[in-house]
Amino acid sequence: MTARFSRPARLGAAAGTVLAVALGGLAPTPAHAGALPIEQCTTSQNVVLAVDFSRWGGPLLRSCGTVPTTGYQLLNQGGWKTTGTQHDGPGFICRIGYSGHQGGKQYPPPEQEKCVLTPPATAYWSYWHADPGRNTWSYSQLGAMSYKPVPGSVDLWIFGETDIDGTRGGPTFAPDTVRALNSTPGGSGSTSGGSTGGSGTGGGTGGGGGSKGDTAPNTPKSTNTQPGNGSSSPAEQPSEQPSEQPSESPSPSDTPSPSPSTSARDATAAPSTGSSAAPVAVNAAPAADAPRRSSGSIGPAVAGVALVAALGAATAVVAVRRRRASAE
Amino acid sequence: MSAHPAEDGGRRIPRDLHPLAWWAWALALGTAASRTTNPLLLLLVLGVLGFVVTARRTEAPWARGFPYYLWLALAVVAIRVLFRCVFATGVTPEDHVLLTLPRIPTPAWYAGIEIGGPVSLEAVLSSAVDGLRLACLMCCIGAANTLANPKRALRVLPGALYELGVAVTVSLSVAPQLVASAQRVRRARRLRAGSGKGVRALRGIVVPVLSDALDRSLHLAAAMDSRGYGRSGTATKASRRATGALLLGGMAGLCAGLYGLLDGTAPALLGLPALAAGSALCVAGLALGGRRVRRTTYRPDPWRLPEWGVAGCGLTAAVLLCVSVGYDATALNPSLYPLSWPALPVVPAVALLLAGAAGVLAPPPGRPPAAGPSPRAADDRELSEVSQ
Repeated sequence: MTARFSRPARLGAAAGTVLAVALGGLAPTPAHAGALPIEQCTTSQNVVLAVDFSRWGGPLLRSCGTVPTTGYQLLNQGGWKTTGTQHDGPGFICRIGYSGHQGGKQYPPPEQEKCVLTPPATAYWSYWHADPGRNTWSYSQLGAMSYKPVPGSVDLWIFGETDIDGTRGGPTFAPDTVRALNSTPGGSGSTSGGSTGGSGTGGGTGGGGGSKGDTAPNTPKSTNTQPGNGSSSPAEQPSEQPSEQPSESPSPSDTPSPSPSTSARDATAAPSTGSSAAPVAVNAAPAADAPRRSSGSIGPAVAGVALVAALGAATAVVAVRRRRASAE
Repeated sequence: MSAHPAEDGGRRIPRDLHPLAWWAWALALGTAASRTTNPLLLLLVLGVLGFVVTARRTEAPWARGFPYYLWLALAVVAIRVLFRCVFATGVTPEDHVLLTLPRIPTPAWYAGIEIGGPVSLEAVLSSAVDGLRLACLMCCIGAANTLANPKRALRVLPGALYELGVAVTVSLSVAPQLVASAQRVRRARRLRAGSGKGVRALRGIVVPVLSDALDRSLHLAAAMDSRGYGRSGTATKASRRATGALLLGGMAGLCAGLYGLLDGTAPALLGLPALAAGSALCVAGLALGGRRVRRTTYRPDPWRLPEWGVAGCGLTAAVLLCVSVGYDATALNPSLYPLSWPALPVVPAVALLLAGAAGVLAPPPGRPPAAGPSPRAADDRELSEVSQ
């Protein structure tokens, strides 16, 4: 009997040690920070990350990362943090949080999505790219860990429903509303964000967090309450107004100009975007990561294992008694 | 807890619990297990299953199968972990990498799937927990199969499915019969010093076993025929056709309805409405078919207090884990990113222990039948189980 159980027991002990070491010792290697303030974002070295929290009344946050990087790394630096599912691992983006928004709370919250199995196609974070020079979104054909964004492109995460090809359920705003257009880093020409504290649907939410996004050094030339023909930015990108954004077509897409400015026009200013108001783009400055959760206490685990062991002992006693009774 | 069964083994009259009570208990426990990915709770489910099966299984052939279900469960966990390791799901900088498998390069059009690569402790643990949950569900079904007498379970079928029940009962008894006759043939061969091995010995065993099986089935058919089985009663052809059509339509409705409920993208009409229509058709078909069949039941299984107790404690556990009142629902699905020790929520743990009370509430199992019955007696017993 002991010989039969010795190997599993040893295995169990080994697994226990590994767990203990992993939970106690081994400091994980820190993620290297590659996030930049949005005003230093250039089209030559950087990628814009945009995440739409409007499903939960939040803003459309955007931040800037350096390449080379993966879509996953872009989404896990400068205060951003994601959670995978138990079934698919961290590579499937199930929850997204930003430490400057609602104290780093990740969305969707656990009561809406348990993140145990793969979420349904009706409610998940879908991943969209816009390569440089294109003003249309394309549905990502790769996972966040496999995709390597090119400089000047935009990575967008929106929550909702799509079909399997991504032909339905796409974003309701154009990439140029969040794109960074500086050709050189630094504040030579501030990117005009649509953020402007306190305005619109979500700019002022999030308590301290929201303000962190808004107090980014370059206070943008506020365009958000202006109607679509962005008066403050005469040098708008020559966006060939995409079909999925008819609301913007009245706005004169102005002269093509190298002037480093624009983008992040307040999409709510566009008069007719249907029922769901397009979100306000808020700059999310690089922030400290949300504090790591502690690894918890070992007490409950010990109690649970003791409970199971007691049950096992009871089972063994019953088995022995039955065997004795049947032998009589 | 362990002292009780032995004590009241002397006082309580041994009898077999109603099979539906065991099935309700086991399915409820399976529902409870499917709600959680907390390894502590899943291990508790396995412990409860082991305790109840050990305390209340009979000595019948089907009641010895639980260890095989446990091995199957272990295989499920192992396969799940293996697949998760081979088809890498990526590691984050915070993960604790255990080992790195050689990466097999995949072409660009196939880049969504990676084979090989670093294997993290988090991935191994989460796939093990995932597999453990499936294993728990399988063990719940296994426990029901072990504890409940399958032939007596078929008795509770509605009258319209009577012929089906008889066929299933006869086919269920085939495997134990084959084992018994194979053992008998081997014993006879040994008595005649037939010690051959390999293909020739196999032929020497298979042929007598098959002819034995044919003989027995002919006997059984003759016995059933002489007792009036297989009569279609007073049913007309039209009423039989109507019953068949109603049942088929009802089954199709049930399938479509379940699919619609489980798949969130299906049109709304396919969900509850189809399920309700299918159920209505099925009930109508069963009622129509049952009207023409009148069967009496020989020694019906009683449904008394222990049955209520066993089914009730299982259902209580399922309800407590489904409504998540009195505890933090996130404790049912602890996250492994970042690694943390699982919590042990009190209410679910107590609910699962309550389900374990079935091992005490159920009466001790009935005595095994006397050893070595004659072939005739076996046939008669079989018939008495077929007859309802």
